[in-house]
Amino acid sequence: MFSKVLIANRGEIALRVIATCRRLGIDTVAIHTDLDKDAPHARAADEAVLVPSYLDGAAVLAAAASSAAQAIHPGYGFLSENTAFAQSVMAAGLTWVGPPVAAMEAMARKDAAREIAIAAGVPVVPEGTSGGYPVMVKAAAGGGGKGMRIVRSAADFEEAEASARREAISAFGDDTILVEKYVEHGRHIEVQVMADTHGNVLHLWERDCSTQRRHQKVLEEAPAPTITPAVRDLVTSAAVALAREVGYTNAGTVEFLLDADTDEAYFLEMNTRLQVEHPVTEAVTGLDLVELQLRVAAGESLPFTHEDVRCDGHAIEARIYAEDSFGGSLPQAGRADLVRWPVGARVDAALESGQLVSTAYDPMLGKVIVHAADREAARHALIAALDETAILGLTTNVGFLRALAASSEFRDATIDTAWLDTAQVTPPDVDAARTLAAWEVFLKDSTTRGPFASDGFRVGSAAAPILIQLDQDVVLTGDQPVDRPAAAVGPHRVEVIHRGQRFVFERPDPMVAHAAVAGDGTLLSPMPGTVLDVRVAEGDVVEEGQVLGVIEAMKMELSLKAPFAGTVTTVSAETGGQVALGETLFVVEASDE
Amino acid sequence: MRDLAADLRERLAAARLGGSQAARDKHTARGKLLVRDRVDRLLDPGSPFLELSPLAAYDMYGGGVASAGIVTGIGRVQGRECVVVANDATVKGGTYYPITVKKHLRAQTVAAENHLPCIYLVDSGGAFLPMQDEVFPDREHFGRIFFNQANLSAQQIPQIASVMGSCTAGGAYVPAMSDETVIVRNQGTIFLGGPPLVKAATGEVVTAEDLGGGDVHARTSGVVDHLAEDDAHALAIVRSIVDTLPMPGVSTGSTHTEPTEIEEPVEDPDGLYDVVPADTRTPYDVREVIRRIVDGSRFHEFKRLYAETLVCGFARIWGHQVGIVANNGILFSESALKGAHFIELCNQRGIPLVFLQNISGFMVGREYENKGIARDGAKLVTAVACSVVPKFTVVIGGSFGAGNYGMCGRAYDPRFLWMWPNARISVMGGEQAAAVLAEVRRPDDPVPVEEFKDKIREQYDEQGSPYYSTARLWDDGIIDPIDTRRVLGMGLAATAHVPVPAPSYGVFRM
Repeated sequence: MFSKVLIANRGEIALRVIATCRRLGIDTVAIHTDLDKDAPHARAADEAVLVPSYLDGAAVLAAAASSAAQAIHPGYGFLSENTAFAQSVMAAGLTWVGPPVAAMEAMARKDAAREIAIAAGVPVVPEGTSGGYPVMVKAAAGGGGKGMRIVRSAADFEEAEASARREAISAFGDDTILVEKYVEHGRHIEVQVMADTHGNVLHLWERDCSTQRRHQKVLEEAPAPTITPAVRDLVTSAAVALAREVGYTNAGTVEFLLDADTDEAYFLEMNTRLQVEHPVTEAVTGLDLVELQLRVAAGESLPFTHEDVRCDGHAIEARIYAEDSFGGSLPQAGRADLVRWPVGARVDAALESGQLVSTAYDPMLGKVIVHAADREAARHALIAALDETAILGLTTNVGFLRALAASSEFRDATIDTAWLDTAQVTPPDVDAARTLAAWEVFLKDSTTRGPFASDGFRVGSAAAPILIQLDQDVVLTGDQPVDRPAAAVGPHRVEVIHRGQRFVFERPDPMVAHAAVAGDGTLLSPMPGTVLDVRVAEGDVVEEGQVLGVIEAMKMELSLKAPFAGTVTTVSAETGGQVALGETLFVVEASDE
Repeated sequence: MRDLAADLRERLAAARLGGSQAARDKHTARGKLLVRDRVDRLLDPGSPFLELSPLAAYDMYGGGVASAGIVTGIGRVQGRECVVVANDATVKGGTYYPITVKKHLRAQTVAAENHLPCIYLVDSGGAFLPMQDEVFPDREHFGRIFFNQANLSAQQIPQIASVMGSCTAGGAYVPAMSDETVIVRNQGTIFLGGPPLVKAATGEVVTAEDLGGGDVHARTSGVVDHLAEDDAHALAIVRSIVDTLPMPGVSTGSTHTEPTEIEEPVEDPDGLYDVVPADTRTPYDVREVIRRIVDGSRFHEFKRLYAETLVCGFARIWGHQVGIVANNGILFSESALKGAHFIELCNQRGIPLVFLQNISGFMVGREYENKGIARDGAKLVTAVACSVVPKFTVVIGGSFGAGNYGMCGRAYDPRFLWMWPNARISVMGGEQAAAVLAEVRRPDDPVPVEEFKDKIREQYDEQGSPYYSTARLWDDGIIDPIDTRRVLGMGLAATAHVPVPAPSYGVFRM
């Protein structure tokens, strides 16, 4: 076994690999960019080396050399599927914790992978239009949905193929196009394989990652909840056959598309690395996949046979992203003022309170993984864990995940891979969140002690209602909530987490500009003086605060600004003209809301 | 006994309704809140209210004068106990019966004895004229209300008024005698004589709004300091005013408040480099500077709509409460009066003053001299000179002439005085000095006039530099604008523990 391993990654996966290394007594070397110099993974490793970029292979090799690491674990993403880098790692006399370069290369191209799958007797999606419509047109070199088109009739085929080709050449520099049967109701089933260098190829059961949004996995589970024993046999044995065919070693994942209507499974692709969702497999098998990766890379035999591989209970993983799921899924950045992870669940994350989340890297903040005796128990555990999760300071998808996990569709396992692209997930109730926020405001400043306790006492009468002003007035009734939410009550605004979702309510500031302050839009000369500049004409549309003109007197220049957005209806000022104090210079009429 | 208690509650419930259903409907139809709803909104959420004499005038005056038309009591506002005095306009137009006067005075006594700030929610037609002999002339009659206001203020018991309806004749003195006032636009009016009286006296026909409405008093007369949209907004402003008062438990005026929670400015202080032009002649809004210096960029601005060339208001810097006086143009009479009023408020409340000085001087010209700008300038200079709270001055632009005095120049004993690198300081601008000196030089001076002027300009240019100033210790250093917040915070911390004496002033030239 190695005595020192470099982890060519960041974030939760780097921490994940470091944890196993630590347990096995292996020293760890982290790499980090300048932005990440205080990042959790850089602090957790025994050593940390600065690199210009996580994608800079030469710098990573130099870091391995300077720290005398014997092996490089690439994690997922970044350099993990870069065959040239894997090659150079081995050329430098280091061990690549991953599959052989030949296997990586073979699986990197969809057309080549397909040929190998056919050779291994693995079912593949019917090609061409012979099987009828709909068909999928996609780039051979593609990934991530780029260059993909669904064609539902022969009439549309030519145009779709041409545009897919154009997109493919611009995105990948290769306009090879594949045409294959399109499955309307597909489930994403993938099989975890693990192979050593002594000819042992095992599968560690399957995972179902059908809950996706725009091809990004959202919820992942093991075992797959809907497949028959026959399908399970088919996909697992096909995965093992494919791995053997390609001479695979180390951890890999063979992905299948299951037609939910026909129960036919088709090979999609093979991922030649550790997957983000590997923890659900770890949960049901009780194995440590990173440990197995390291042992295989070190030349050891897999220490068990397939008969020893358990599949206990049910596990679900939820991916936490910095994104506003209910607001167009835009990525979010900012300071995570408070981070609270659930206690009863496995959490793979590298996010801590006070950490700055930038858009420079992947927006995944962490993963929450639950494991229980059956799927329904696991689902309830996930809902509870997401309720317990609180991230203040920036918006995340936790509320979305929580709503999704609680939905009848997920409960009934009817969600196919396209469902989230059209389905509406109901966001948590804003009124309930506002009431919780109002309670937090009240509880922060109120007192329960003494005769001046905040109970609204009135002499000889019922207590006065407790009114809290947020973006809307809230009247508090009844007892305070039993479960207080994670909250930040500030002078400007209140943030609360309700069912995982972050809500921000502005607190009105009576001193900021009001219509009363803005007046009627007549701008008078503030001084007797000379008009230096007139910047608008009658009829001009102006923004609030826009400079309309400038007056000079007593060595001072004063600008006259539009008190609100509107239209200039009068310009009495003339450049170079003398004006008296209080003379009307401009009139602005407010634009209708 | 239970029956008696139930009977009491019944009578209280009746009194609590105020005026007739019709009167209440008319009141709320105008968008006004009923008096007890105003009190509820004014007080902290859940604050108890110790209402005093709710059954005043019970069965008197032929009935129907519920609670004597006025609600008084003690409740908590922004965490401190205050006395609230609120007219009920649904009861005989909120006019003062003899018992109303007595109840109002009693509330002021409670405030005096317990040192509690007074908040007046004004909505009253003034004295009940049919009973003028019982409300107007005697020692404990209407006039005593204002006598008390003056003396309570003198004891540093804050007097705050919100005008939410009529405020006529003598009643006009309730806001006028207060330390800080709010008015509701298109609703509150303040005048010594209403439109009918004006017409009778002078023949002038004028609307109530034009005579003494919110806009008039907030923009022109200066009788009120804050203009509100509606009742709820006015009450929120009153709460914001109370938030600027010294914390309870600290004896008023003796020492300024301890720092509370510290918030960074919302506006990035780095923006100071962009919002402040290097050329002192180029206009900008000094609020842009303030927002980048104070905690949370929060600024409780005083008299925002009046005398706009001087910006005054309360804020916190590193948790320390401060009163900020900042130039936003030339000083006029009104600016000087506003500044003097604000400086008095700060001294009254024991709040340190921060002057952001960027001043080319007081307005000149016959009109202004004749109206007595020197007299009003003197009030500002007096207020600055006699201030007992710590003062801090930052010269963020020009510092010329008498403006330097009114804005707490070195001669006015600021605890610290700093300059920004763009600052200029001299008795007048180089250009003006050259012109003046060229005008008064000996007629036979052989030096050509431009050459003469150039020499003067050069001299002023050199001596007006902040480096010339700092070399001679006219200041405590030139600071990078971005350090202003930090430096002020350290100055405030350094002066925070010295007790502040009670304020007293010389004669203000009126």
